[in-house]
Amino acid sequence: MEPAALAAALADRLHRAGVPAGPDRAARFARVLALLPPADASRLYWAARLAFVADRAQLPAFERVFAAVFGGASDPADTRGDPTAPPPVRPVRRSPAVTSRVEDTAAAPPAAGLRHGVPDAPGGPEPAREAVLAAAAPDERLRHTAFAELTPDEVAAARRLARGLALATPPRRTRRARPSRRTGDRVDLRRSLRRAQRTAGDPVRLARRRRRTRPRRLVLLCDVSASMEPYTRLFLTLLHGAVVDARAEAFVFATQLTRLTRALRGRDPDAALRRAAATAPDWAGGTRLGESLRRFVTDHGRRGTARGAVVVIVSDGWEGADPRLVGEQMARLRRLAHRVVWVNPRSAAAGFAPLVGGMAAALPYCDAVVSGHTVAALAQVAAAVRDDGGGTR
Amino acid sequence: MPDPSAGPRDIPARAGAEAEVRDRVPDVETLSAALDAAGYLADPGLATALFLAVRLPQPLLLEGEPGVGKTEAAKALARVLDTPLVRLQCYEGIDAAEALYEWNYARQLLGIRLAESRGAPVTEEALFGPDYLLRRPLLAALEHPGPRPAVLLLDELDRADDDFEAFTFELLAESAVTVPELGTIRATHPPVVVLTSNRTRDLHDALKRRCLYHWIDYPPPERTVQIVRRRVPGSAQPLAVQAAAAVARIRTLELEKPPGIAEAIDWVAALTLLGVTRLDPAAAEATLGAVLKDRADQELARRAGLAGLVGAAASGGAP
Repeated sequence: MEPAALAAALADRLHRAGVPAGPDRAARFARVLALLPPADASRLYWAARLAFVADRAQLPAFERVFAAVFGGASDPADTRGDPTAPPPVRPVRRSPAVTSRVEDTAAAPPAAGLRHGVPDAPGGPEPAREAVLAAAAPDERLRHTAFAELTPDEVAAARRLARGLALATPPRRTRRARPSRRTGDRVDLRRSLRRAQRTAGDPVRLARRRRRTRPRRLVLLCDVSASMEPYTRLFLTLLHGAVVDARAEAFVFATQLTRLTRALRGRDPDAALRRAAATAPDWAGGTRLGESLRRFVTDHGRRGTARGAVVVIVSDGWEGADPRLVGEQMARLRRLAHRVVWVNPRSAAAGFAPLVGGMAAALPYCDAVVSGHTVAALAQVAAAVRDDGGGTR
Repeated sequence: MPDPSAGPRDIPARAGAEAEVRDRVPDVETLSAALDAAGYLADPGLATALFLAVRLPQPLLLEGEPGVGKTEAAKALARVLDTPLVRLQCYEGIDAAEALYEWNYARQLLGIRLAESRGAPVTEEALFGPDYLLRRPLLAALEHPGPRPAVLLLDELDRADDDFEAFTFELLAESAVTVPELGTIRATHPPVVVLTSNRTRDLHDALKRRCLYHWIDYPPPERTVQIVRRRVPGSAQPLAVQAAAAVARIRTLELEKPPGIAEAIDWVAALTLLGVTRLDPAAAEATLGAVLKDRADQELARRAGLAGLVGAAASGGAP
């Protein structure tokens, strides 16, 4: 078969399987084949893999397509490294329950006044935002009723408000510096020298640089198991808002952990939620809180996603297995993160006390526990995220 | 001098590597053998990736856990090609001044003073000319005079931020950089670029699109033994086999810093230095710091039982 046709056909199959393989990759594959005539199946495998795969996450899909197209001529396991290493986890797809619910048709744009970029002065715009939130929900019932008890229309309104809630993290100083007029601890040599030319080479007025501040990273972990069912769509809207506005990382978990950041990008909240529902296979399943936390810290947090970040965990703390695992993993997470905020919708119920289970095990490691169960309580979540007191690192 | 093999300006320079490089690296097997001779054992996938990086040519992005040999691969490639390795260690906040070039301000100020004392006029062109330019790694790699292209290693690119990544696009795509004062500098021998990343964050898609991507796995125990014996001359074969198996078992624990090849080499070197020929729980306890570099990890390993990890007989293992 002619290399160009083969490259195009393989690129097409890969693209349909979810590996982004555009014409540039197909052209690259054709060049690679010209350079490396595939004498055997192993060489063909490596030629195709180096041309098409751009990330480790694409490997399982690539290997499926390759085995299907070339009839299992090469066993990928031969070319993988350590045979005793555990294989990558492949999620089992089950039909998500979310898409069968009533869709929110009126995806009206959120009130313009609610959204601004990340504020420079953390304390400033807070009262203004509170006022706008209050004004936008004239119905007292909407503001103070738990999400579980709202009618679908009110859910839609609450979602719009949640979408507009701007989560802003405290700033941190970075190592980059930018020119500044007067303040600044470092001298900007380049600009000083240019100015010196005006004064015959004497650097009379020194230009200064100041270290830039950036907001800390925000990571959200949301429990989507059956016990959190009434709150799921609302908190997912919050996640979507955070991903789009605050460049946060978003994960959901029930029986396993799924990273949703990519699926939630994009302005349209409903399309984002549909993509999210397609990605996470264990919607409304059982709860494995400790195991999911462990997966997060090992696969993502430890690598740097949670380092120095503000981590928000949305869960009722229900754990099906041993709660000690929750405590251990929360200890690991607390060492990595700047601040840990726990949002527990059950904590607002009368007589709630975190005595048993996952919530009790996690409590010592949380900097703040808020309820987040009504529209008014969501503002508390934003306040807890913004607050810098008591954080470490 | 313009590169004769480069096509018209608007077609990217992927016309193939130069004749010298083609002779040195005619096929994957030759490259594998050459890497072996240079002290680096590469599996077929990595050898193919390095071959394509050199011959297409295209930048190569190596990802993998810390300690699997990403940096070593670039060093070995430079030895094979017999060219200098230009290394840029990336960190958060690295900018063009440290990566590409910087003006020698001290010398410029002195130059102004000298001209003043002589009463000669000082012009801006004189001040911002090539004499006052400090060439940092990226520029040095581009301006390498040959006869073969240099190997440019951008180490731990994920530690740098988005601004720096955007800055490397032009370099990767065109093997050229634009200096405002000096114009566009094109490479006469476009360097072979190797990028490494520890996956602490996702690299930009536009960057990945310009590169070949290869994920380096931990090698199987047999290969670890070969690597260890190569890098620690004087180590005993049974010790190396035991250590490799132990490292593989240790990796199955829930560690903060799983040991890589570098740690396996360190461990066997430490054991060999102490004169240990067979690995037992006592020796493992004494040298645990060579393989596990985190206190919590060491505690975990002890709780899991050093005897079991080391593979000693079940009787009388460490508590």
